[in-house]
Amino acid sequence: MFDQLHFFASPRRNIAVVLPYDLEERLRQWTALRRKMVVQVPEAFTRDEWAYLVAFLDEANLRKPFRESFGDAEADGQAPLGALLRPRGLTGIWLPNNVSLLGPLTLILVSFAGAPLWVKVGSNAMDLTAAFVSFALQHLPAGELAEYLRGQVRIDRFDRQDPRNGEMAAAAKVRIVFGTDAAVSAIHLLPHPANSIAISFGNHRSEVWVQKEALTDDRLTALIRVFSIYGQAGCTSPRRVVVLDGSGADAREVQERLVGGWPKVVRADSPMHVAVANVMERQLALAQGWQAVVVQRNRAVVAAGELGLREPAGLMTLAVVNASIAEGAASLPPNIQTIGHIVREPHAPQWLELIARTAAKRFVPVEAMHHFGPVWDGGNFWRQLFEEVCLQS
Amino acid sequence: MSQLLNQSPFWPRDDASFLKEMNEICAWHLAGCPEYRRVWPDWSEARSFEDLPFLHVGVFKRQLWKTDAAGIVHQRTLRSSSTSGATASMVALDERSSALQGQSSSAILKELVGDSLRPLAILDHARALRQRGEVSARITAALSLRFLASEVHFLMLDDGSLGWDRLRAVLERQPRLLVYGFTWLLWQSWAAATVPEDVRRLLAGAEVHFVHSGGWKKLEAARVDRKRFDEGLLASVGPGSTVTEYYGLVEQVGVVFPRCESGFYHVPRWAGALVRDPWTLETLVGQPGLLQFMNALSWGAPYHSVLTEDLGRLLPGNCPCGRAGQYFELLGRVPKAEVRGCANV
Repeated sequence: MFDQLHFFASPRRNIAVVLPYDLEERLRQWTALRRKMVVQVPEAFTRDEWAYLVAFLDEANLRKPFRESFGDAEADGQAPLGALLRPRGLTGIWLPNNVSLLGPLTLILVSFAGAPLWVKVGSNAMDLTAAFVSFALQHLPAGELAEYLRGQVRIDRFDRQDPRNGEMAAAAKVRIVFGTDAAVSAIHLLPHPANSIAISFGNHRSEVWVQKEALTDDRLTALIRVFSIYGQAGCTSPRRVVVLDGSGADAREVQERLVGGWPKVVRADSPMHVAVANVMERQLALAQGWQAVVVQRNRAVVAAGELGLREPAGLMTLAVVNASIAEGAASLPPNIQTIGHIVREPHAPQWLELIARTAAKRFVPVEAMHHFGPVWDGGNFWRQLFEEVCLQS
Repeated sequence: MSQLLNQSPFWPRDDASFLKEMNEICAWHLAGCPEYRRVWPDWSEARSFEDLPFLHVGVFKRQLWKTDAAGIVHQRTLRSSSTSGATASMVALDERSSALQGQSSSAILKELVGDSLRPLAILDHARALRQRGEVSARITAALSLRFLASEVHFLMLDDGSLGWDRLRAVLERQPRLLVYGFTWLLWQSWAAATVPEDVRRLLAGAEVHFVHSGGWKKLEAARVDRKRFDEGLLASVGPGSTVTEYYGLVEQVGVVFPRCESGFYHVPRWAGALVRDPWTLETLVGQPGLLQFMNALSWGAPYHSVLTEDLGRLLPGNCPCGRAGQYFELLGRVPKAEVRGCANV
């Protein structure tokens, strides 16, 4: 390992970043792994999860954190520099049970900060982070990325009572915690270095805003695809679809299109327990006053109803409500994360003004709802993996 | 009042009579339970059992369902024991149904263990009776045997162990005993426990009829199969002792499905069973699928027709054991899988 300066330029200033690895080589190695990944899906992953990881390891995507955080790469540091950035050091990542790709994705991003990594995975769930690292170590050629994963990445499986939580918090310069709000708070309450920083990813939920005229068949397909990956279990998965400035009949029409289109988008049968649970969720939604319809072969439940109804809770239950734009914004939950949009002019100033008044952290096309990146839950967490040295000439 | 209760539980029945009673009870709940009406808004009289409305068993975990009608006096809420940490089911009991359900369980259990009176030893705590407004499924199952009991004893101590002193006191007076426990509890607290020597001597001369229910999930994890279970219980007791298992669910209170010597479960004549495809809900004949149970006893809440998450297969013809009526093979629970998503799953 060696420290190497990399230079970046933005219209505002030029900066140098010191990295304990060769950036171009690391990019080459991750993308080389990507080619191996295309051939084989490890048992621990679903095909959707693996496909997303493959897409995430696209070189242009991997360069994005640097570009968004520092600017365009420069060959040398001839221009006057405004700042020097260096990795803060050991990064601890706490992952809860049943988490999907957040572990591997965060690991990939953090690997570009070059800091040693200590990952705590859930104690009673399939651990995708270790499964991904294991796959990588099997398929990477000997080189600095394999050395990093082998020598600087530690993955432990333990529960919330384990004393290793305290050891991690005491050692980490950066604590990245995924979990319930209570779990996140508990980790940050553990004794930790005074100069360490906390990055929290707590309870969040998301939804889709639709203008009926913008809901083409392609975008309907995208909506179904985005929801069907995690259902309500994903913080970036829509719990409800709000048909903006629509009527009850419009919401029913969107419901019908979703129900009709679903089997064409999701061809495989749901696992038996999901199909059976959908029967229950539909009945519960009906009992609560929703117009709930089950998708062919019990794949999902689509429930149309009024804004004030108690939201249906099923894993694969998607609610569709109609609301004015103001009502939609007013009814956003306080922990809103992503609003996926299917609207005519997403760049129109009205959306900016509206989003500014909400707690939403992302306003993105429905297709991009699950796209994880350096800016997440309201901040550029990846940028925070570095500390900044102010430079003035 | 179900006319079907007037005969022995495993005598042949006229399906048309049962369908008529089921249609009446469905209409009753549609009239008295608004939530149920919202689930089945367009239903009208069924011409076959498969057209009868049903509720998924899980809806009773999320909502307390009640039917209000003349003559219905709701009593306590029955709660499932939820041994695996899952959410408990809630079933609203009422006087009218309880009378029918008591009649039903008495008739079925009498078939299993005979009708002579003897002490009933229950593997539970007496304090389970004292919860206000609620009653556990475990205690309800145990007390469904009380009509066969000359006296009732609760054997569990507060620390969860079995009170052998209490058992000794009963055995010193009575060499015939009826013992009820949840399957895993009977194994853990009795069959796998160290029995004090003096109690062991008394048991060796006693005729004990063990009755258990509640499922095998915990014992499967402990690699205890039925043969080992039965042998473990019978090893310590005297001649003439038996082990009887039945299948039941809290959402079909009063109706139990005894397991016969051929290994099949039997449906009493005042109940019915269907098997449905999990993906289409079409009824299946001779193939495995989701079990649905119906009974004509439940008037205070719409748990008269329930789609379960248990897998089974209805078998054609008559059971080799000689009992008439429907019988089925139990194939376990719908397999669960891990749900993966974000931190807020």
